[in-house]
Amino acid sequence: MNPIDLHQRHADRLRAAATGASGQTAESVRIAALTRAAGGAPIDKPYDGLAQQIRDAAWRVTDAHVAAVRAATGSDKGAFEIIMAASIGAGLARWDAAARAIDEAGDAAS
Amino acid sequence: MRLAEIERGDRLRTRALIRIISTVSGARLPDAARVAFYHKGYVGAALAEWMHAVMRGPSGWTVGERELMAAMVAHWNSCTFCVGAHRAIAVRGVEPAIVDACLADYRTAPISAPLRVTLIFLETMTLRPDDLQASHAQDAMDTGVSRAQLADAAAVASLFNIVTRYADALDFTIPTETEFDKAAGMLLKRGYR
Repeated sequence: MNPIDLHQRHADRLRAAATGASGQTAESVRIAALTRAAGGAPIDKPYDGLAQQIRDAAWRVTDAHVAAVRAATGSDKGAFEIIMAASIGAGLARWDAAARAIDEAGDAAS
Repeated sequence: MRLAEIERGDRLRTRALIRIISTVSGARLPDAARVAFYHKGYVGAALAEWMHAVMRGPSGWTVGERELMAAMVAHWNSCTFCVGAHRAIAVRGVEPAIVDACLADYRTAPISAPLRVTLIFLETMTLRPDDLQASHAQDAMDTGVSRAQLADAAAVASLFNIVTRYADALDFTIPTETEFDKAAGMLLKRGYR
């Protein structure tokens, strides 16, 4: 099997889990957070501030960012889902970029 | 930890498990494990399955090299928790002085040319993903890195670009060096599932 395909299957499964029916928050909100952290357009407040900060410098996320999303979703699980969706969006955007670069390169070594 | 329900566990069984593991190990259960126990029906299974395959499955990289890559991604993303956690595992397979030299400056560290050029690829992917080009992958392959090795390394970096982000967004408590070492032994023995 193409070495990229093996990881791509896992990446696709993770993306589907983050945005699919197993979450408690609206799928549209999780898709928006994932897409925003992957470099997409601004989304509704207060999700935008948290997703953007997770994309750019997660170590600068504040208690206020998380508290605002906790209040908007109404639960810890809701806030957790938004944090995970945004983190997964940023990580998978990097996977997509790497897979494309590897795919387009020749292979002198194997 | 910014979300109290993750700190204490969301089910009776999880709360008991957190207490028992903390008591038996003599150390606070790390927040990474508390997240793994939390809201199990959401992304946990998909994340753990890929993580275990990437970090412990067959690869042209040793487990120590993959843990070093995880620590490097954490370093680039300024994630104190993940640097500590994955440095502690990496030094069980790679000389501690070499791991620390990489964390200080991997470009001058005494590592193989294929590992160094792979770290260049991973650094660009982590910090400037929009700049990543086929030429970066080509440079790695021209130095002897196989396509499969580069794909495996990219998967490590992708996963730790996820983990570092939620670790910092949730504000993981930073364990002591002794606690990191205990957790490292457990992660080497049990893996990420």
